[in-house]
Amino acid sequence: MMNEDEVLTTLKILIIGESGVGKSSLLLRFTDDTFDPEQPATIGVDFKVKTLSVEGNTTKLAIWDTAGQERFRTLTPSYYRGAQGVILVYDVSNRKSFQKLDMWLNELETFSTKSDIVKMLVGNKIDMDKREVDRQEGLKFARKHAMLFIEASAKTKEGVQVAFEELVEKVIQTPGLWENDSRGGMSLNDRGNQSVSQGCGGYCSLL
Amino acid sequence: MADDGQESEVFEITDFTTASDWERFIARLEEVMHDWKLPTLKRNPPVKKGEYTIGSWKEKSANVRYANFTFTITEYKLKQEYNEKDLTLDDEESEDILPEAVEDLMMMENDFPPRAHCLCRWFGLRHFLVLSPAAHSDAVISESRIRILQSSVSIAISNTSCQIPVFVQVQQKWRRMYVGQCEGPGMRTSFDMVHLKKIPHQFNHLAGLLGVFKSKISTPVSSPPPVSVAVRFTYILQDWTNYSWPQLPPDFDAPSGSEVGNSGFGKLPFGAVEDPVSELHLATTWPSLSEDMIVDNDVYSDLDPIQAPQWSVRIRMMEKPQCLLGEYLGDFGKLCKRSESVEQLLGRSFYQDDSDTADISQALQRLTEPVPMHIPTLSSVVTRARTRMHHKKQMEEEPIPGDILNEILQFLFPDAGLIACIRRWSCCIFLLPLTLLQSGAPCLGSCLLHQKLQMLNCCIARKIARENTSMSQSSSAVSLGTNIQPSLSSNSFLPASLSQASFGGSDRGSLASSPSNKDEDEDDDEFFECDEDPEEGENEKVGEEELAAAGNSQDVEMEDVEEKDKIERTEKEEKEKPEKTSDDSSPDEIAFRDTVVYQPEGRLRQCGDLTLICNDDELLYIPITQDPAPMTEDQLEEHATVLAELGTSEEGAELRARMQSACLLSDMEAFKAANPGCMLEDFVRWYSPRDYIEDDDSCNTPHPDMNEEDRDRMKKGKLSSRMMIPGNMWQEVWSQAKPVPARRQKRLFDDTKEAEKVLHYLASLKPAEVALHLMPMLIHAAIIRIQHIEIEGLPSLTSLMTQITQRASKLTRMGSTDIKKYEEVIKQIELAEVVIARAQSLRAKFSQQVLEDDDKQTELEKFVSSLLEQPEVSVLGAGRGPAGTILHRLFAAAQRSANMLPSEEELLADDDVVDHASQSSSVSVKDFPRPAGKEFILRTRVQRPTSYSRALPQRLFCVLMNNDFRLAGAFSEDTTFF
Ligand SMILES: Nc1nc2c(ncn2[C@@H]2O[C@H](COP(=O)(O)OP(=O)(O)O)[C@@H](O)[C@H]2O)c(=O)[nH]1
Ligand SMILES: [Mg+2]
Repeated sequence: MMNEDEVLTTLKILIIGESGVGKSSLLLRFTDDTFDPEQPATIGVDFKVKTLSVEGNTTKLAIWDTAGQERFRTLTPSYYRGAQGVILVYDVSNRKSFQKLDMWLNELETFSTKSDIVKMLVGNKIDMDKREVDRQEGLKFARKHAMLFIEASAKTKEGVQVAFEELVEKVIQTPGLWENDSRGGMSLNDRGNQSVSQGCGGYCSLL
Repeated sequence: MADDGQESEVFEITDFTTASDWERFIARLEEVMHDWKLPTLKRNPPVKKGEYTIGSWKEKSANVRYANFTFTITEYKLKQEYNEKDLTLDDEESEDILPEAVEDLMMMENDFPPRAHCLCRWFGLRHFLVLSPAAHSDAVISESRIRILQSSVSIAISNTSCQIPVFVQVQQKWRRMYVGQCEGPGMRTSFDMVHLKKIPHQFNHLAGLLGVFKSKISTPVSSPPPVSVAVRFTYILQDWTNYSWPQLPPDFDAPSGSEVGNSGFGKLPFGAVEDPVSELHLATTWPSLSEDMIVDNDVYSDLDPIQAPQWSVRIRMMEKPQCLLGEYLGDFGKLCKRSESVEQLLGRSFYQDDSDTADISQALQRLTEPVPMHIPTLSSVVTRARTRMHHKKQMEEEPIPGDILNEILQFLFPDAGLIACIRRWSCCIFLLPLTLLQSGAPCLGSCLLHQKLQMLNCCIARKIARENTSMSQSSSAVSLGTNIQPSLSSNSFLPASLSQASFGGSDRGSLASSPSNKDEDEDDDEFFECDEDPEEGENEKVGEEELAAAGNSQDVEMEDVEEKDKIERTEKEEKEKPEKTSDDSSPDEIAFRDTVVYQPEGRLRQCGDLTLICNDDELLYIPITQDPAPMTEDQLEEHATVLAELGTSEEGAELRARMQSACLLSDMEAFKAANPGCMLEDFVRWYSPRDYIEDDDSCNTPHPDMNEEDRDRMKKGKLSSRMMIPGNMWQEVWSQAKPVPARRQKRLFDDTKEAEKVLHYLASLKPAEVALHLMPMLIHAAIIRIQHIEIEGLPSLTSLMTQITQRASKLTRMGSTDIKKYEEVIKQIELAEVVIARAQSLRAKFSQQVLEDDDKQTELEKFVSSLLEQPEVSVLGAGRGPAGTILHRLFAAAQRSANMLPSEEELLADDDVVDHASQSSSVSVKDFPRPAGKEFILRTRVQRPTSYSRALPQRLFCVLMNNDFRLAGAFSEDTTFF
């Protein structure tokens, strides 16, 4: 295990998408590397933590898993607050879950407090025989909305680890997203700078 | 002596233990030069035109001690950007190659840089060192000391063969006096200067200066080449006669601030109150003359500014013009830092005569009480407060520095005195929510203060709704009660607790028997009351049953009818298909249906056209549910923290789910109430449709023509596997859920308690905190204010505004409570205000005269825009271009007004004036004042000290100002042939 104080930063990640697309299963696969066919349907929100090392940076991930049901959704907006990354999941074997993506993005836009939150689209359940959304469609959607994209299966673990890693890497690379932004602003051009009375330490104009 | 440092190191130990202060000083100088790699420096390509001003300068400093005296040695270096190929490969250490600095003396591309270090301006240098006393007040004044320093430098540079010129600052620092030297192969250049307060009469012109230059060079050559001369005269315009700054100072006392600056409440004050443009400097330059070409002596001068080949203009702006918006924001920002509480500011007694206002638990009560309003009207509050205020002043010292709180309150309530304002704040805060805010749950996009008020609003709305319903309820309960037939006793499907007559799960069960005399209070605190009217737009979807169940007193009669209707209908239906019922249904189902005959309650609308799984005659209804508990962002955060703290263990996860299941339970109960005889499958089909898996080829819409088999198949489906896991929380909660309509459920949201929380929160806020909470809105308003100013063609403003907006949105989105962050934004807003004021001022000054030619007009506009963006702007066509013409006129007008002469317009207005030209020539005033500054650069390349020495660069820079006369000379001599 990583030493606590080596942790570079704690990142808040959110998993959203329709109910039943496999959000909780993806998270379980990522945190515990298992698949539980008896994974109960999430009530409200659930929460898991995992430490992850990306490019030598150790980051602690606080991951919020949400229930996708309409009724629970009134609760979830609070969990969007301060999230640096979001994983938006649909089920490749269920077109409806894909069609709902726009609604989810909308919600994200409304409630997220970081304007440059990193978004990843995950098409889950690629192990299923019956596919209703092909890869191209997912790709197209992701491109349109400037998201990362990957297809995965919580069941066979394909694409799961890399999805989270990729997201974290991107978050870390995005300036001002995870660290306190300390970039200064512009200052007015130096015209206010008049000759300094003592010596000529500064630069001055003649008069 | 620490000479030959590098070479001797190998063989012997250099012993500094016995070295003198002086030796150590020199050694240290050499060390610094080596550290900075000065001796081995590569040559750079020649400096490009304007590079001294545009390019960036690097500075590096180190301390050097001489005994107890500390000097700072500083390197100034222009960062040159060039391609490697621009470098001319010079032959290694060629004897003829002069140091870069010495060549720079002769270069004319960067004469008179608009902004530069003085040594760069005087000598044209791109790279030099300055040795000066470290302390500001220290100065090297005595001749002997100056000589010691110079010889130290001389030794150091010859030991290191450093070719960078080194200057020693002498005399008081403000005098900017330097002596310097630069050594190259076989040559040396000495830098020296003269600085006087008054211009000696004989040096007030070029002729005199040429005389000094030549005598200083004193070349033995009989006919030296002519001296090249560069001249610049600078004229200052301060009197903008025909253009005065229009902005009036704001008048806060005016009833409707309609002045330029302050446009009243709701719009922030904006603009500079003084002209941000203070001076215009016109520099007229003759970049390259020969001494024989020009005459400038004490009786005559060829140097007429209008004839100068180059004109350039600089605008001198006010350092910090007084600007309304910036000042306003700044003061507001200061408020945020105050630490006093309201109590401290007003004194404890403030609360006393109205002690009931302070009792927060009663506040909500009072707010929601109908007609007799206890809250004083605003005017009465103000009147009382005013009298109190006078009273107070006599008795004790005013506890608040008046102006401090005034600003915030000005913002909130612009027309009242301070204490009245605070009182009003305390009172109005209770009224505001009801009147101003958007109803509904707190909008998380707004600031916390706003959310809190919205929350209060929510509580008020819910409490009022609750009271209304319970009032009407009690009156309609009788009629409702008659229809309820709670005959559930032997139902195995329902949990045991429900098998009793009291399916309400509480004393509400006695509803049927003792309907009207309920204890109001208990009612209040226990049960959720739904809106009687479902959301608009869904009205038409609302089933009749719903109306019946809603229990609106006005609908009592109708309700009765409806209920009867329905019963009749059901009976009819039963009669119509008696065989079917007995044939199709399994014995179990029949039993179930027979026993579940309680009246459905709390229906919102049909759920698509779904029917109950066990009874496809019964439509599936979406129940009226309790609204989710509204929360403000801090509450949400707290909630999230609590949930996160449960940890990630399995138990933690279960506890988390359990904590959040209250809402699920409530929904399930409401669902059961609305759908008698329903199963978990039914619930899931509404609540989490993806967890109900319909068998393949079953279609959703039942068709009346379908045969029995089809119908049968259609209904087939099952819960998802995760819902079927024995003992999962969904099943567990389902089994606990009793059929209770939302309005009789225990409230998920305790409006009384929540309202109290909000009121406590508000009461405990310090004025500074209120101000801080208002900051995002203020900044938003300020940005909008600026954006309303229509001003174009200012790229720096555009980028500044983009920056401000981005920063502000980031900051406010984060809900920052760091005043320092806001102050940074405020500073930028101030800056934007200044930029705009400058632009407006300059544009007004230059748009006085409209030019007939469109092209010229465009050129002029471009010129004005450049003035705002660049430190110095050259005037196209100098005195003859469009801008030059206007400048000429501006100066001439200022001259006339300075000499109390009639203006050009006034002269033209005279009918009998024949000709404008002759008129103005008849007045013996020049169009330009005396130049405020004259600069001359004299250069030549000549043999020194003997006629067989090399011809080396010589330069004299002269500046003549009113009370500042300076000659800065660089004189080179051959050190091989002398
Ligand atoms: N075949 C398959 N089934 C999956 C996969 N991920 C999840 N599931 C199943 O989909 C159902 C819903 O999964 P869950 O993680 O609870 O979804 P959530 O509601 O989005 O959290 C469960 O029955 C899972 O076993 C997957 O990658 N492949
Ligand atoms: Mg889940």
